[in-house]
Amino acid sequence: MGEAILFTLFSVSAVVFSLGMVFRRNAVHCALHLVGVLLSLSGMFVLLHAQFIAAIQILVYAGAIMVLFLFVVMLLNVRGETPLLTPGAAKGFGFLFAFIVFVELLWVVVSQGGSEAEPAPVRVLPPGFGSPAEIGRILYTTWLFPFEVTSILLMIAVVGAVVLAKRKFA
Amino acid sequence: MIESAVKVLIVLGFVLIAVPFIVWMERKVIGHMQDRIGPQRVGPFGLLQTIADGIKLFFKEDLIPSQADRVVFFLAPALSVITAFVALSVVPFGDKVTVFGREVPLHVADVNVAILWVLGTTSMGVYGIVLGGWASNSKYPLLGGLRSSAQMISYELAQGISLVSVILMTGTLSLAGIVRQQEHLWFIVPQFFAFVIFLLCGIAETNRAPFDLPEAETELVAGFHTEFSSMKFALYFLAEYANMMVVSAVAISVFFGGWRGPFLPPVAWFLIKLSLFLFFFVWLRATFPRLRYDQLMAFGWKVLLPASLLNLAVTAVVVALSG
Repeated sequence: MGEAILFTLFSVSAVVFSLGMVFRRNAVHCALHLVGVLLSLSGMFVLLHAQFIAAIQILVYAGAIMVLFLFVVMLLNVRGETPLLTPGAAKGFGFLFAFIVFVELLWVVVSQGGSEAEPAPVRVLPPGFGSPAEIGRILYTTWLFPFEVTSILLMIAVVGAVVLAKRKFA
Repeated sequence: MIESAVKVLIVLGFVLIAVPFIVWMERKVIGHMQDRIGPQRVGPFGLLQTIADGIKLFFKEDLIPSQADRVVFFLAPALSVITAFVALSVVPFGDKVTVFGREVPLHVADVNVAILWVLGTTSMGVYGIVLGGWASNSKYPLLGGLRSSAQMISYELAQGISLVSVILMTGTLSLAGIVRQQEHLWFIVPQFFAFVIFLLCGIAETNRAPFDLPEAETELVAGFHTEFSSMKFALYFLAEYANMMVVSAVAISVFFGGWRGPFLPPVAWFLIKLSLFLFFFVWLRATFPRLRYDQLMAFGWKVLLPASLLNLAVTAVVVALSG
């Protein structure tokens, strides 16, 4: 019962904040709504017994990355920027990506969810599911390669940003 | 359920009652350190001075700048306070006690990722200051807000890494678990450098002197809270002191054995250690001049961060060898 109430609370707030993020005109307000979405998702992760992911969600995304976003938005004052795409093209790309994500989600639901005649088997969580120790273990065994590739990718991005910034202001 | 609600009320009430006395202590101590006598008119030893100040703030006119972003202007001080209080919810302030035949652990919530929780909420605390500076729509608050976000993001890194070396030793992220492991030896002994780094970062995170650049009055009027008056200003004030308690409480739990101590009951030991830490904060403010902004950033990135990484590496090697 409590879980259902919390789930409703978090999902409604996630949807409301997402809508706010898309429809607000002020870029700072948009960023704040995105923070709201991230916090709601973090609540969802707690409901899924993934406390570590929930804490990381707050610490990394809401606490660090979005602060930087906000920082940049505040400094640039984007109100007078000319947009990169024409409104029509932006809309077209928007619908295209929304459609791709929809198909992806549909595929996951259909392939994992089973049908009415043959419902998906209920899986029991392995012991230690969502604990920092368990996540650390699979991150450094099963998923070691993607994990390291991601870190190299981030490193390249950082070095690239520094190089570009230097060239511009030298 | 009721048990948690009672504990929440106790922690909230304690902070709300303690803050006026910490402010009084700060004014009195700094007064004597500067050869003044500090507040003395209201109540015995001026004890009621800060209460009188609080009442005054309650009844002051609440000014909002005409060009301010009203919603965010309301939200920002509240965010500051909420994040500080939420962080305190995972701090263990005593051993298990038996109340009406029930074993009650003395912390609001034993989250198994408590340290991440504290770091996460304190990093959310940046929003209160940045948004306060932005929403005022005024020059000095914006500059103060930007300074403080840069400062807090920079010092968070070293702070987090200094805690990681303790986590490596204990193998747990739970504050209660870390306190439980300090039965024989406080972690200040093996992790002295981590403690120094943590404390320096903690002072920077709470924007206390000598790292109080976001509100450097000689350059920025009053920094991010220049435009805030009445209870909104009081909320920022409250948040600063609550954050000092958070940093002290985490330092106590991680490095100073938490509520452990001989003879006296655990809660008493926790309060004694907390008071000493808060006194230390005040002492620093009376002792050191403010850093320059470039010195602050250079110190954070070029000294504290490499030092914390080195400490982490050494700890990792020692832990791996002693296996």
